[in-house]
Amino acid sequence: MLKATGLTKTFNAGSPNEVRALDGVTLGFDDGAFVVVVGTNGSGKSTLLGALAGEFALDGGRIDLDGTDITGWPVYRRARWIGRVFQNPFAGTAPGMTIAENLTLAARRDRRFGLARALSRRRRDLFVQKVRSLNMGLEGRLDHEIGSLSGGQRQALTLLMATWVKPRLLLLDEHTAALDPKTAAVVIRLTREIVDRDRLTTLMVTHSMQQAANLGDRLIMMHRGRIIHDIRSEEKRRLRAEDLLERFEDVRRIEALDASAADLLRSRYV
Amino acid sequence: MSLLISAATIGFFLALMVLGVYITFRLFDFCDLTTDGSFALGAAVAAVLLTADIHPLWATLAGAAAGCAAGMLTGLLHTRIGVHGLLAGILVMTALYSVNLRIMGKSNVPLLSTPTLITLAEEFAAHRLGAPENVMVLGWAVALRDVAALVLGAGVVVAVLLLAFVFFRTDLGTAMRATGDNPVMVRALGADTRNMLLAGVAIANGLVALSGALLAQYQGFADVQMGLGMLVWGLASVIIGEALVRTRRLGLVLVGVVMGSILFRLLVAIALRWGMEPNDLKLITAVFVLVALCLPGLLERLTRRRGAADHA
Repeated sequence: MLKATGLTKTFNAGSPNEVRALDGVTLGFDDGAFVVVVGTNGSGKSTLLGALAGEFALDGGRIDLDGTDITGWPVYRRARWIGRVFQNPFAGTAPGMTIAENLTLAARRDRRFGLARALSRRRRDLFVQKVRSLNMGLEGRLDHEIGSLSGGQRQALTLLMATWVKPRLLLLDEHTAALDPKTAAVVIRLTREIVDRDRLTTLMVTHSMQQAANLGDRLIMMHRGRIIHDIRSEEKRRLRAEDLLERFEDVRRIEALDASAADLLRSRYV
Repeated sequence: MSLLISAATIGFFLALMVLGVYITFRLFDFCDLTTDGSFALGAAVAAVLLTADIHPLWATLAGAAAGCAAGMLTGLLHTRIGVHGLLAGILVMTALYSVNLRIMGKSNVPLLSTPTLITLAEEFAAHRLGAPENVMVLGWAVALRDVAALVLGAGVVVAVLLLAFVFFRTDLGTAMRATGDNPVMVRALGADTRNMLLAGVAIANGLVALSGALLAQYQGFADVQMGLGMLVWGLASVIIGEALVRTRRLGLVLVGVVMGSILFRLLVAIALRWGMEPNDLKLITAVFVLVALCLPGLLERLTRRRGAADHA
């Protein structure tokens, strides 16, 4: 169970480029929840994900995962519990190493790296079996360098690696944004399969209203570092992509109103 | 013949240093200038212990351990204090120059009258072969000492290669290799890349210092200057080795790196024999590394430009 309380983060504090990326975000979700996060550019959705992964030190707030306070944990320590797929399809795999070598690192994410042989025959058999489940024909290419694969193949492998050891929390950071629509659909199908099969607690950031409407059992919309909508269960199920666009439109209208109101006040009083 | 044998022997001893450079430069993408300092450090520590009548084996290992410590210091400066990698190496290398002078007490320690690993190997060979003055190698009479040193060098290199090969195929070794390839991924998979780099630089400098300790025993003295230009020498050997094997498969690359070291040493020996000015050696090595590292990129740009011109 994840509990984030009052997360705040300001980038470039005190400078003209100051950005309040997280402005007191409080969020809790149960085991097995599949939460989709949407928001405008700069709304803080990627920052929220980075905060959960441990990319930077928060200005305030705390994060508990399964009752353990992990606020101060560095990325590599959280990685024992948290699986991650990045937006950049090349970020999640080591290009100069073979598929098998990449998988072997993922297969022992929850333990310390020791002096056991990395590629035993038993592990190889398991690799073949799991890679075959991707249906990409990669099981015959375990000894090829990952750098020779396409972005979609690498992203599918990253997904497999992030969930190889069942994570307590799976973070997906717009993981199909850099893929072509067809490949994106394949990766989304895999995501759904894996998350359903292992009942993974998942947080997915996306730009795609279609994905946001179709996936997950809860939707969070962020704006200016805050959660402005939190749509659950029945309402989430009924939610369509058009409804989401409408809500975005509302946000924009309020924004425009704010700006013009500020102008009005300025012209009156300053 | 004795020229070739001595070049090959030095090539073997230096291969350990080259292996260290390969680990930092290729596996970790870390240009480690500590190399120049830790090479002389290994020689200095071993030489001083040898003259104090410590067994050559322990003296040599102590030299290697000192190199590990120096590498660890560079790694700590870089990963914990955040000093730029190049600068961290330069700082430690510069500091080591004074440390090496302190250890030796002077700029040069002769090892001609003390037993060394080389003399031990010679005694062992003499014992086994019935003490001939010379040994016939491919029809040439070669001094027993030279053959013993060559076999010792080859033996140490083969042992270290095997260890490296096994180590880099363990979980930890695989994670280390991945750290140079994609540190973001390695962190996301639960390993502290700072510690990986730290361990890698320590191991590499241990090998470099071991190389220095052995070379000092072979040439009969340790000198505070002997590490000068070692990193560039190592880079040249790595480049030659990679060109020889043309693959990224770990086992072959490791062997290639050793072959590169020997071949480069042979080339240099032959060039010197033909009358190359020894003082020009470092200049030529540096130019060679520059060309070898930049040529592929330049060629690519050239062909691309030509391709663009064809289109236009």
